[in-house]
Amino acid sequence: MTPVLRVDELHLAYGRTPILKGVSFELTQGAVISLLGASGSGKTTLLRAIAGLESPTGGHIRINDRTVYDQAQGIELLPESRNLGLVFQSYALWPHRNVFDNIAYGLKLRQVSTGEIRLRVEQVLRQLGLADLAGRLPHQLSGGQQQRVALGRALVYNPPLILLDEPLSNLDAKLREEARAWLRELIVTLGLTALVVTHDQSEAMAMSDQILLLSEGRIEQQGTPQEMYAAPQSLYAAEFMGSNNRLAGVVAEITPGRARIEGLGWSVWGATTGKSAFTHGDHAVGLIRLERVGLAPGPGPNVLAARLSTSMYLGDHWEHLFQLGEITLRALSSNPLAEKDCWLALPENQLWVFKS
Amino acid sequence: MTRTAVDPARSLTILLTAAAVLLPLGLVAWQSLLSAPFFMPDKSIGLDAFRFIFDDADFAGAFKNSLLLACGMAIIAVPLGGVLAFLMVRTDLPGRTLIEPLVMVPIFLSPLVLGFGYVVATGPVGFYTLWAQSLLGLSEAPWNVYAYSSIVVIAGLTHVPHVYLYTSTALRSLPSDLEEAARCAGAKPWQVALHVSLPMVLPALLYAGVLVFFLGFEVFGLVLVLGDPEGHLVLPTYLYKLTNKLGTPSYHLMAAVAVCIVGVTLPLVMLQRLLLKSANKYASIGGKGGRQRPLPLGAWRWPAAGVIAAWLAFSIFVPLSGLILRSFVSGWGEGVHLLEVLTVEHFRDVADSQTALNAIVNTVLIGVVGGALTVACYAAIGLAAHRRNDGWTRLLDYLVMLPRAVPGLLAGLAFLWVFLFFPPLAPLRTTIFSVWLAYSVVWLAYGMRLVSSALLQVAPELEEAARISGANRARSTRDVTLPLIRYGLLGSWLLMFLIFEREYSTGVYLLGPGTEVVGSMLVSLWGSGALDQVAALAVINVALVCVGLGLALRFGINLRH
Amino acid sequence: MKKFAIALTCCLNFTVQAQIPAGYPADYAATVAAAEKEGKVVVYSSTDSTSTKPLLADFQALYPKIKVEYHDMNTTEIYSRFISENAANAGTADVLWSSSMDLQVKLVSDGNALTYVSPEAGKLPDWALWKNEAYGTTFEPIVFVYNKRLLQADEIPLTHADFTRILGAKADRFRNKVNSYDVEKSGLGFMLVTQDAMVSPAYWDLAKAMGAVSSRYQSSTGTMMERISSGENLLGYNLLGAYAFVKAKKDPAIGIVYPKDYTLVISRVMFVAKKARNPNAAKLWLDYILSRRGQTVMANQADLFALRADVEGETTAAGLTKQLGAALKPVRIGPELLNMLDPAKRLEFLKQWQQTAVGKK
Repeated sequence: MTPVLRVDELHLAYGRTPILKGVSFELTQGAVISLLGASGSGKTTLLRAIAGLESPTGGHIRINDRTVYDQAQGIELLPESRNLGLVFQSYALWPHRNVFDNIAYGLKLRQVSTGEIRLRVEQVLRQLGLADLAGRLPHQLSGGQQQRVALGRALVYNPPLILLDEPLSNLDAKLREEARAWLRELIVTLGLTALVVTHDQSEAMAMSDQILLLSEGRIEQQGTPQEMYAAPQSLYAAEFMGSNNRLAGVVAEITPGRARIEGLGWSVWGATTGKSAFTHGDHAVGLIRLERVGLAPGPGPNVLAARLSTSMYLGDHWEHLFQLGEITLRALSSNPLAEKDCWLALPENQLWVFKS
Repeated sequence: MTRTAVDPARSLTILLTAAAVLLPLGLVAWQSLLSAPFFMPDKSIGLDAFRFIFDDADFAGAFKNSLLLACGMAIIAVPLGGVLAFLMVRTDLPGRTLIEPLVMVPIFLSPLVLGFGYVVATGPVGFYTLWAQSLLGLSEAPWNVYAYSSIVVIAGLTHVPHVYLYTSTALRSLPSDLEEAARCAGAKPWQVALHVSLPMVLPALLYAGVLVFFLGFEVFGLVLVLGDPEGHLVLPTYLYKLTNKLGTPSYHLMAAVAVCIVGVTLPLVMLQRLLLKSANKYASIGGKGGRQRPLPLGAWRWPAAGVIAAWLAFSIFVPLSGLILRSFVSGWGEGVHLLEVLTVEHFRDVADSQTALNAIVNTVLIGVVGGALTVACYAAIGLAAHRRNDGWTRLLDYLVMLPRAVPGLLAGLAFLWVFLFFPPLAPLRTTIFSVWLAYSVVWLAYGMRLVSSALLQVAPELEEAARISGANRARSTRDVTLPLIRYGLLGSWLLMFLIFEREYSTGVYLLGPGTEVVGSMLVSLWGSGALDQVAALAVINVALVCVGLGLALRFGINLRH
Repeated sequence: MKKFAIALTCCLNFTVQAQIPAGYPADYAATVAAAEKEGKVVVYSSTDSTSTKPLLADFQALYPKIKVEYHDMNTTEIYSRFISENAANAGTADVLWSSSMDLQVKLVSDGNALTYVSPEAGKLPDWALWKNEAYGTTFEPIVFVYNKRLLQADEIPLTHADFTRILGAKADRFRNKVNSYDVEKSGLGFMLVTQDAMVSPAYWDLAKAMGAVSSRYQSSTGTMMERISSGENLLGYNLLGAYAFVKAKKDPAIGIVYPKDYTLVISRVMFVAKKARNPNAAKLWLDYILSRRGQTVMANQADLFALRADVEGETTAAGLTKQLGAALKPVRIGPELLNMLDPAKRLEFLKQWQQTAVGKK
């Protein structure tokens, strides 16, 4: 089946500064992909390039088999011809138009009859829970309401693909959790194909079927949320996708698929992933997710002695801070800890070793 | 539709603008290299014109004076204008709605008339001078309005409204949270103004400063009236001398002077662009409407009101009162008892004169209709530069600033020549179109600034959202950009109306009977020595415009909320 | 039928002939007819339209079918606009009427004027006519103006020598209180002092005296009179008598002195443009202004001084001649006026003026 979106070797530079250095991916019908990355990684630029708001310098972009950009053939469709929906980070609602007109604009441009415009807009308003707000102006709406209007505006003309630029970043924390569930459900229910830009990895994992992790204009790793979280291919990916403990040390022993790293007063085995080849004496980092660190009754393989320095109560769990020489380790538990001196178990298959 | 390299609407706008600006300027530059009028058969090319003026001690003196005047004006007008704008727009100063139309008065008051008002009020035998003398028991006048420093101060104070206009427009769209944060941190209102609000509108202040500086080279009527008694010469009055110095008007010398002025002001434009590049702190009408609450002044209310009252008194009340008094008396000065000489015959004379009434009607028409057309053109030019930062935009930036570098005396001639010697334009010379074009081109920088600053405040996402929804560039401009800049457009229309009200020299060679305007009537009456009628006509004009202004601003304010 | 046609033509001729002023040649009727076909005359003039209104109204009454398009501008504007429009062969003035005598003579000497012998030419003094092209139309004295309220009787100069003497004797009294034309800014002012220097070499003494009291030089009669009336200045030199006369009627502070030793007289020069598009209408206008009827309106309603000797009134040549006789020194309209338009001579004179009247070194 033809992918809804196909991006091939997309390059984009501002003058001599490269922003996107060859990005390729596909988006199939009904899928939600997140473009995840730190600021400066190029994710928003990629989104805007797909929308036609930025001019790439190489590669090509196809939407449903229609070439919207092809550097080799000199094709670059203007944004108004691409028939996409875009939800801006700031929502960009037109302040001089009310909710109804904001949403109806796209239909008006497509010369839909007034009667049908009213039907479709009202339907969208109902779907998004905005039915009573049709006559309000944007400044009279709350942040969450504005977001929904922005969404409605992007959806109303049934584009094959909608783009969302940091859709939840402007909402407060509590609202954000509710909103991501609601957004995911809406996208799935309406069978939309969506490309979401976000810097928040938990948001990306919650909402999408695939995650594209971008770093410095390139795709660092691509995969399902589970793959991205449980099997990161690089240090960057591993660090970005979750909360980790970081043990910086030196490679002491190497066996196929495993390596032992050691530092001042500690030594652990871990799984080597990715393509990097290790040699003795390499500087390396051992990374293990917080929730994978367990409490051991006593010493053992990959068990470290550590001293509890502080505990934080987070409502549904406790987070503990341990000191081991110069290393700080964090671990989670459901209950407070009684002892100060603990044994921390770092399971070998959960500890990744990366070159640093 | 694929992205094309050339946007026809934009190209046409740029071409027309370039033609409108470069034709008259090119003629002036060409003329400066000749020894006789360019349309005369016996002329030679050379730099003699420049040699003459550089050798002329008067030119050096006039140039220095003009420079002093321009600097002084900028130094006085920019801080005062910024403070005034802050007080009027961002605070809860009492009486704001009443003061606003008064603030604009110096803009539309003819400088000749303004100078005259100062002479009657504060001249050596002016009303206030004589009262002050008798009050303080002095034998000599306590001040000298003919001193160059007085002229610079008066010029500076009467150009505050220009700075006010640009700064207030920019300040109007600042969200209040920045100022409120400063208040919470302990800043008093003047500190808020100095450290938060005004720095946020630095581009507007800088631009206004440059425009006022340009005007410094253009100041003619004021210096003619106030500078003549002690012989202070500035470049425009030096140009005036050049019309007689060699017998017949020496266009080549005048053109050489204009080229020198352009030479000085061009680097200024470059400097201003440099400064603005680094000042990217524009407030935007973004996707979320920021609330604006007036900053409470509290105890600072009275000092603030005092500052404004002082400025109003000196810049508006003093000359206007002089003018009003003059229009009601048959004689004034030393040894005259005011009550004995009161009369309304000057007003009767003006009312009897059909020409005066025609002039007022014509001026209003040109101001309202012509002004609207002008603003439409400025909007087109502003849009051609909007969101595109290429060489064409840079070109437009310079084109827009150039025309005002040529003093009015020569600009009028230059436009006459353009309409005479360029065949496609020749048939339009005798129509009102030629006058309208001349005015619109000369004041390009001033009217356009209000439009372009409004454009700058539109967040790009609003237009992008329209594009994504399916609107092409033109549609997006029509549906999103233009509605959002309507206050900038209205402000620009108001400014152009006020400027057209008093304009004279730029259109003098293109006007004719039936198209006389108040500006030309005032100068004509002045030339025939009927200064009493000048005063009466000016007072009527001021009253009418103030009333109209008041109505317009009230209406505008209602629209805003 | 033929007889009827002849009779009709005779009647029409008769009606047309009834419009010709008395004493005009019979073929003037043809000019009038041609002018009426032209329908309008374009005049560029430095006489303000308020003063000219009675003349325009009367001309309209005389020739209802001819409209006067009256452009009121200053003398420099007239000159610049005319030569520019002429060079471009665009529509320009049919008649130029300016108080700048030297510029008008220059335009005529450059060949821009139509040679036309006006039927009224014989009634003009010989200094007021040049080459049957340039015509003087008014008789305007150049006067001293003083503030009646503030000057004592012995401080009022009655002659030029008086002026010099009083300024010398009472230098402190008159310091900063005397005004006159800035001859660098005003072409008319310049011409007046060159005429002064020609008529009386003692002018330079007067100039020195004015320089010694720091006289205030200005660009227009209006501002000078305003400052004299208010008392800021006490005495003015070389002001236009026509304007002073009008102002003195309303303002009791203005006093006028027609200098007894000599009083310069200027005349507003009028000529018909050679390339005029409405030459016949232009001729009618010129003839009207020079006619007894026009000059009478000028003197009695239009605040101008009439030139013709056969017009009675205070503001006429006749009236002034009765007062001053031989002291009146009209400026001759002729090529001598071109001398001081030569840049080198002009600059030299200006330098001398600067050094004496302004006190520049």
